[in-house]
Amino acid sequence: MTLRILLKTVAHPRKVSKDLGPAPHPSDELAGGLHGSFQVRHVDAGSCNGCEMEVHSAFSPIYDAERFGVRLVASPRHADALLVTGPVTKNMSDPLRKTYEALAEPRLVVSLGDCAKDCGVFKGGYGVEGSVSDIVPVDVHIPGCPPHPQAIVEALRGFTGK
Amino acid sequence: MNHVSVWVTALAGLMAAIAGGSLPVRSRVGAAVLLTWVSCSAALVAAVSVLHSGHAIVMSTTKILPLTGTMLVLTPLGAVFVIAIVVVALASTLYWLGYASHGLSTRSASCALPLFVTSMILVPFAGSVATFLVLWELMALTSLVLVLTDQSRREAARSAAQWYAVMTHAGAAAILLALVLLSAHAGGQTFAQIELHAHHLSGALRGTIFVLALLGFASKAGAVPLHVWLPKAHAEAPGPASALMSGAMVNLGIYGIILVGNVLLGGGPVWWWLLVSALGVLSALYGALYAATTSDLKRLLAYSTADNMGLVLIAVGASGMLAASGSRTIAAIALVAALLLMFNHSLFKGALFLAAGAVQMVTGTRDLDRLGGLLKRMPVTGVVFLVGALSVAALPPLNGFVGEWLLLQSLLHALPSTNTAVVITVTVAVAALALTGGLTVAAFVKAMGIGFLGRPRSVEASNSHEVPATMQLGAGLLAFSCLALGLAPMLILPSLELGARSVHGVGGSSPVHGWISLHLFGLHGELAPSLLAGGLFVALVATVLARRLSHRRSRPWPALAPAEPWGSGRRTQTVRMQYTATSFAEPLQRVFDDVIRPARDLDVSHTVESHYYVERIAYRTSSDDVIERVIYQPLIAAVRRWGRLARKLQNGSVHRYLAYGLLALVIVLVVLA
Repeated sequence: MTLRILLKTVAHPRKVSKDLGPAPHPSDELAGGLHGSFQVRHVDAGSCNGCEMEVHSAFSPIYDAERFGVRLVASPRHADALLVTGPVTKNMSDPLRKTYEALAEPRLVVSLGDCAKDCGVFKGGYGVEGSVSDIVPVDVHIPGCPPHPQAIVEALRGFTGK
Repeated sequence: MNHVSVWVTALAGLMAAIAGGSLPVRSRVGAAVLLTWVSCSAALVAAVSVLHSGHAIVMSTTKILPLTGTMLVLTPLGAVFVIAIVVVALASTLYWLGYASHGLSTRSASCALPLFVTSMILVPFAGSVATFLVLWELMALTSLVLVLTDQSRREAARSAAQWYAVMTHAGAAAILLALVLLSAHAGGQTFAQIELHAHHLSGALRGTIFVLALLGFASKAGAVPLHVWLPKAHAEAPGPASALMSGAMVNLGIYGIILVGNVLLGGGPVWWWLLVSALGVLSALYGALYAATTSDLKRLLAYSTADNMGLVLIAVGASGMLAASGSRTIAAIALVAALLLMFNHSLFKGALFLAAGAVQMVTGTRDLDRLGGLLKRMPVTGVVFLVGALSVAALPPLNGFVGEWLLLQSLLHALPSTNTAVVITVTVAVAALALTGGLTVAAFVKAMGIGFLGRPRSVEASNSHEVPATMQLGAGLLAFSCLALGLAPMLILPSLELGARSVHGVGGSSPVHGWISLHLFGLHGELAPSLLAGGLFVALVATVLARRLSHRRSRPWPALAPAEPWGSGRRTQTVRMQYTATSFAEPLQRVFDDVIRPARDLDVSHTVESHYYVERIAYRTSSDDVIERVIYQPLIAAVRRWGRLARKLQNGSVHRYLAYGLLALVIVLVVLA
């Protein structure tokens, strides 16, 4: 059964990714500044994992952010930018700061989701240190609770200009 | 003149042993070393004069050994081995001066070490079966004493010595049987008589003799599966002794195979040499694999010895096969390759073992996972190890490269052969050589990178300091010779050729010739090591200069900013988070899991309060020798079973023994009646 599906897929490859419209306007502030390649290190600073689900689908075959030159990488040493989700918890504030310091300059920070902006429903919680911008300087914010994958991909295309 | 130098070699060695055994502790080592040097220099004089004149030294006396007399003959082939041993011995004894305070100045050690050196030097001088066996046994026994000298690791040393004693004596028994068979059937016990008559023997007898001798000598050379004693004994022996064992003694195993196979029996059918090559391929692969996966510095070097001896055996086998199929010139090239590989191995493995001995002396450990950062603390020892490691990895401009190049040339030119078995073996050998090369690089990147670079992983490593000057000098001497022979292999090649040609009887032009560039006679092969090294150096300088210039034009170098190593955002980092030898070898170990079959053990203990909280995780992994586990342990268990059965018969009760006597008497009477 599985073999038949596999053979069928090989015989008739289909494009599954969505058409997400033309590249962002080159006059955009950030577009094109990174020469079409954008390496992102994702940090979960205390998220409820809703945003992670959407980041996951933004890099899935449907939205396929990699075709626009964005890659999720495994170490801040390889990254141009941090993608931070969730309110920053007390336990994650130091690692977040250290991860930011481990990035080579010039470095960018993208905060993702409403909690990253203002701690959302977790505001004032005993384990919460503050929003992302309290810990590291934020360059771009992607709003939503959680943001739609399309919104994430569009924001990231703003960096690559593709 | 030559006879005098042979006498001086033997007598000075003996006097060194006596001085080491009798003088008070302050002057003991110094006197023994000085006398050993006299002995070594005399041997060097004899060897050089043999190689210079091309004529063997022959001398005999009936005074020393009863009944048989002593016969000393130094042929050009033996002279090559003598030079290799002398070089390692000079460096190791110099090193011994600094090392002696570390448990190697006892009477037994100071007596055994000069005796070991002298008996090794004299083994290639042996010209008769009795002389050979006496010297061989002396060499085995003195090295056994040296394995036992490290008192700080008594248990491990004792077990290693036990393995070594059994293996070396089993080997000696096989050699004894082979040589006694040979001398009985050839009607004389001097090698010259045997050489004359050996070709009259039947094929089956010659085959039996060769296989017996091969078993004995291959176990001395550390060929897999007879290698099990080697990683134990070479690792437990103290610094200078391990360098001598690994750099010099294993060579004599190779000497024995060439002596019996090529000289005494005068060559043989292809299957002999296929056997030698197969042993070589197995040792090369197995040794390199274990060297790449072990995390004990001296065991790593010992396995690498098995690997290198495997390469030498491949070359010896190829040479024999080629000679048996008629192409004597290429056979001589293969034998030159074997001798060069052997010689190189003596130099770099001597240097590596001396450096490892220095590390063990200063830090008290050989475990790579507890070392690190030694290059800054022991710069000379570190550089010696680096040179040795580059040489083992066969990188130009070091000597290992030239040897492997010659071996590959002779193997590739052996290919147009009509014998299918030869073609298959040679093809497998070339592939094995490639895999071995890769594994060796991995092993020595690990040894150098984990042991000498990074940050110290233990207090002992961070407290380490450079060793005394004599030790640096001894190890440095060998490292320097590695570099010298890598740039100018012609310094030694004519001597090796003379040795090889005396075996294969090729006259006329030399198989490898040329000064700047090496040409192979009758083949299209050429190599210019010094030009290659010069080219590499120029390319390196040019790259650095070009980069400097281009950068200066565009923009200056940015200021250096100190940064913490990335540790996944942890608050605190310890030196334990560095790459370790075990983790470096893990991917390789996983690939070769089916061969190595390492034992893994994971213990997770939970807290009393909740099963969800882990209190402690203990992970143990060990990869002991699989051949030891699969072949030797069942053998030992069987011997033990027999021993227990015998104990039932002999239980110490006098009554029972009287009953046996009575029973025997009754049986005899019944039989006679």
